[in-house]
Amino acid sequence: MSQLFQPRADAIFRFVLWTAFLGAVVALFVAEGLSHSSYLTGRNIIQPQPTEFSHQHHAGELGIDCRYCHTTVQTAASAGMPPTHTCMTCHSQIWTNARMLAPVRDSYANNTPLVWQRVGRLPEYVYFNHSVHVDNGIGCSSCHGDMTRMQMTWQPHAFSMDFCLSCHQAPQNYLRPQSKVFDMQWQPPANQQEIGDKLLKQYHINTSGLLSDCSTCHR
Amino acid sequence: MSSLRGDSGALRRLLAAVGGRPSWRALEQVADSPEFGGYIQQSHPSLGPMLAGPSRRRVLQVMAASLALGGLAGCDKRQPSSGTSQIVPYVNQPTGLTPSEPLDYASATLLDGIANGMLVTTINGRPIKIEGNPQHPFSRGGTDVFSQASVLGLYDPDRSQAVQHLSNPSDWDTLQAAMLNRFAAVRAQHGAGLRLLTGPVSSPTLLDQIAQLKQALPQMHWHVLAPVGRDNIYAGAEQAFGKKLETLWHFDKAEVIVSLDGDFLDSGPHQIAASRTWVAARRSRAVQGKLLALHAVAPVPTLTYAKADYHAPVAQRDLLPLAHALLADITAEQESQAGTPPATPAAAWGANAAAALKAAHGTSLVVTGTHQSPELHAVVHQINAALGNIGKTVTYIDPVLGQAEPFADLVTAMGAGDVTTLIMLDTNPVYAAPGDAQFGTLLQKVSLKLHAGSHIDETGARSDWHLPLSHPLESWADARSLDGTATIIQPTIERLYDSRTATEILSILFEPQPRSAFTIMRDYWQKQMQTADFETVWRQAVQAGFVDRSAFPPQTPTAKPAQPAPSASDSATPPEILIRPDPTVWDGSLGNNAWLQELPKPMLKTVWENVVTVSPAFAARQNLKNGDMVTIELGSDAVSGPIWVLPGQNDETVMLQLGYGRNSVGAVGDGLGYNAYALRRLAGLWQADAAKFQRGHGSRTIATTQQLDTQEGHDYIRLQEIGAQPVGDTAAYTQPTLYDRNDSDGRAWGMVIDLDACTGCNACVVACQAENNVPVVGRDQVLAGRDMHWLRVDRYYTGPDESADARFMPVPCMHCETAPCELGCPVEATLHDKEGLNLMVYNRCVGTRACSAYCPYKVRHFNFLHYSEAPAVVQEQRNPSVTVRARGVMEKCTYCVQRIVAGRIAADKEDRSIRDGEVVTACASACPTQAIFFGDLADKGSAVTKARQDSRNYALLGELNTRPRTTYLAALTPTKEKA
Repeated sequence: MSQLFQPRADAIFRFVLWTAFLGAVVALFVAEGLSHSSYLTGRNIIQPQPTEFSHQHHAGELGIDCRYCHTTVQTAASAGMPPTHTCMTCHSQIWTNARMLAPVRDSYANNTPLVWQRVGRLPEYVYFNHSVHVDNGIGCSSCHGDMTRMQMTWQPHAFSMDFCLSCHQAPQNYLRPQSKVFDMQWQPPANQQEIGDKLLKQYHINTSGLLSDCSTCHR
Repeated sequence: MSSLRGDSGALRRLLAAVGGRPSWRALEQVADSPEFGGYIQQSHPSLGPMLAGPSRRRVLQVMAASLALGGLAGCDKRQPSSGTSQIVPYVNQPTGLTPSEPLDYASATLLDGIANGMLVTTINGRPIKIEGNPQHPFSRGGTDVFSQASVLGLYDPDRSQAVQHLSNPSDWDTLQAAMLNRFAAVRAQHGAGLRLLTGPVSSPTLLDQIAQLKQALPQMHWHVLAPVGRDNIYAGAEQAFGKKLETLWHFDKAEVIVSLDGDFLDSGPHQIAASRTWVAARRSRAVQGKLLALHAVAPVPTLTYAKADYHAPVAQRDLLPLAHALLADITAEQESQAGTPPATPAAAWGANAAAALKAAHGTSLVVTGTHQSPELHAVVHQINAALGNIGKTVTYIDPVLGQAEPFADLVTAMGAGDVTTLIMLDTNPVYAAPGDAQFGTLLQKVSLKLHAGSHIDETGARSDWHLPLSHPLESWADARSLDGTATIIQPTIERLYDSRTATEILSILFEPQPRSAFTIMRDYWQKQMQTADFETVWRQAVQAGFVDRSAFPPQTPTAKPAQPAPSASDSATPPEILIRPDPTVWDGSLGNNAWLQELPKPMLKTVWENVVTVSPAFAARQNLKNGDMVTIELGSDAVSGPIWVLPGQNDETVMLQLGYGRNSVGAVGDGLGYNAYALRRLAGLWQADAAKFQRGHGSRTIATTQQLDTQEGHDYIRLQEIGAQPVGDTAAYTQPTLYDRNDSDGRAWGMVIDLDACTGCNACVVACQAENNVPVVGRDQVLAGRDMHWLRVDRYYTGPDESADARFMPVPCMHCETAPCELGCPVEATLHDKEGLNLMVYNRCVGTRACSAYCPYKVRHFNFLHYSEAPAVVQEQRNPSVTVRARGVMEKCTYCVQRIVAGRIAADKEDRSIRDGEVVTACASACPTQAIFFGDLADKGSAVTKARQDSRNYALLGELNTRPRTTYLAALTPTKEKA
């Protein structure tokens, strides 16, 4: 009776084992890569919007303050999306016939809201409050990037938990003086360490670790 | 009592008999024994089916499959993990509204047509929560279960949504056109044949509308059908004083209170104010080292009876003679002969109460209940008069409810064929009329029947026209609270459906140009106020939620001499049968409110149905046990319901509950329980003594949230005798511990619950449910022990069955400093934060349920199924600040962490610390008696710190060294020798 297993059976067995092992490792890397990809995080993706609103034009070239439209950024959890009325404060006077603005005029005339596609998405179990960040020296551009350079709006950072924690665990690296909060071009100065420690005290920021407690963002 | 409750001692004896070291084999032998089966059935009914059902092998198979498939719950696409993908801003944003920020409006909730002032919290234009209105002169910031649950009633998916004509969809214009000729004819006959039937009405505007109608149509009749009502109160005052009056109690001026089946702490429009003032008075006496003693007798234990310091069960038929005896005793010139000791507990109670009353002339208070006979009310007034209490501890005001013709007259007229047009406004007579009225049959004799109600209910289905009625949260209306204060109800949301208010419906039917509810009401008040600056006064009233100084002036009438005591009835009558409203779904009108259905009845702890309660001795005599079906027959009417044994109930008394047996209220409330209205009689609403009590066939398992009624030798609820050694201790916080305690230098949240102030009313339970999106699980899941209430109110009995002492204990999460649950969790889904909160991180939880097994307080609840699934309109109620939990996730009380964070952010933005009282949990804010203190234990001046320093303060199961952040203040009892 011939042998049940040929000598090459061992080789096949080893090959299968190694392929399975390497395949698992590759799958892990792929999964890790995917989880940070634009596809899953929504980072750097431009969504089609009802009208091609340009932050670069309005906030950059014209220099309109963020708070002209996002009125509640200093007082409420939500920064606030401008009602159509806000657009029409200017556009009832200028560019009144622009084709680009037809959806806005229609919205105002027919009392039907504009439907914007969300760019910066947070999971439902995260409770973010704009006002407390702005009030404590975290500037708009720290999360939203330089809006004055965005023709169409995109989200430059992945709003993953490590992004939030990078600041919640060491806020001194990101704190700005109150005058720089709405400065879109702000970059940490060379002496940020020194300024940051002073600002921690100035803003009465709790450094006991409370900021990275689960309850701060999840309820 | 051991015969009725689980006898764990017997089980232990059984185990001992098996052998010295019981092995699993031995345990299986035990498990097969009938004794063990009986023990399980009694103390853990939910385990019963499992024992009887699959084999051990099958259970293991199922468990293995659950374990393997458990992870799949995470693959569920029903709950998207990312937020909504669209932003829809306003076109024109309303002034004063910030999207996603809460906004409160002063308004009111109604019970039996009577108002309690409330604040309605809205977010994005949706009312989501009811809070008390601290400015309201009567309710003073308290709430009750009905007001808390009313917000769910607004979003009831079974509300009627359009006009119906002969069961076909119609609309308001068609109605108006159809009624034009009809009502012209009615007007031509001065209203002959026209009858208006409403529920109880206290609304000044609606009463004025009805009065004007009666003026224009003198032949029209107005009747009120009040399933609970206040007719006995008014009739009693009429007997004693010669006119109908409302009674107001002033506990703060009293030294002793005697209740003859009083219900001032029980459900009703008076509950919020009465329990608040009673507890306030009791607290101020306790500060002086005295006890504001409450003596109570009742045939069936109520919350008032349970909170009494001295109580005895007394048959309903013995209450009136007892009251007469009290009156005679008090008015007797001489001290009564103190020779023979009293024969019965009731007599002993009577002697004790009479002595206490005589010692407190002018500072005592005798009360009785809404459901008691006018005769008893009259005698109680006369006792108060004899004691010189009138004008001191008790005052009177005019009735707040409009006085209509009796409902019985309508029944007679309908029987005689005198009614051609019947308008039924906010009432459901086919269901809620007494059984002998045969209202459903009589209704067929009426040629035109209009019904306005929130649901197409039993009456709506039998009417020609059904008109959808607006919910108070979406209406302009007014109503009086029990002190007469005119309370304004303003809409907090656009009407969900094409509905109208009662005032609007009368306007549509009788006015050439129908007016809106706002105009009708504003016109009325403009006429009333007669001030040059009406606009300012009106706006103030709407903003405050009530008309300033509109309470009725107090009166101090003189009592007529008492009628002679009735001759004693012979005692050989069959058991007396009492009918009472249900403490959660009330008269049945709230039957489709899932929060109220799943709310345990305060004394019974049963849910989702009504039961027939009897005393333990009665049950033993008749060989009845919980769930055995019984039939009660009165004439041709019969109802059958399951028995529930209620310790402390009078031996000869059987209680039936109203509010169930409905079949067209909606998906939640249909087909539950029995309909006790069938046994009601026009001549006697609260008693069906002639009824025959019989054993029925079979038995059913009743869903209850509390299996064990005794403390089994523990001191969960401590009692502090007045003047005795303090029972509180701090031992729980001084033991050594191996836990790594991360003591914070910052805030330390804590809670203290005053068990003396807790009346067991359950307002906190519903408030918690509303605030924290706590799901409703349904009867079957409750039977499986899967109720989800984050805060439960435990009810424990002490003492012998016949005079059992019921005590209440609200149990939220203890937020232990050394929390056992945190050791159990393999994925750190439950852990502490720096302020001492024991957090539950839902998105980390993998559902091992180890934390719940480790928790000694059993306050953790697991989402075994998709409990949070609900119709879209019900989801509108949810609090957007709290995560809606998915299947497979553990949840528990968070100390309302969303409110803490909101307070922290508000303080942070102003660079200050959080003020004491700035953060209040939903339960503490809802409590009518302010029994719950919440705040920062690190703040030496905070109310919660002061409460913790009270000598009555103790920790529940403190010996386990869990160092709970929630502690309790022992309940007060009189000193022993007097008891």
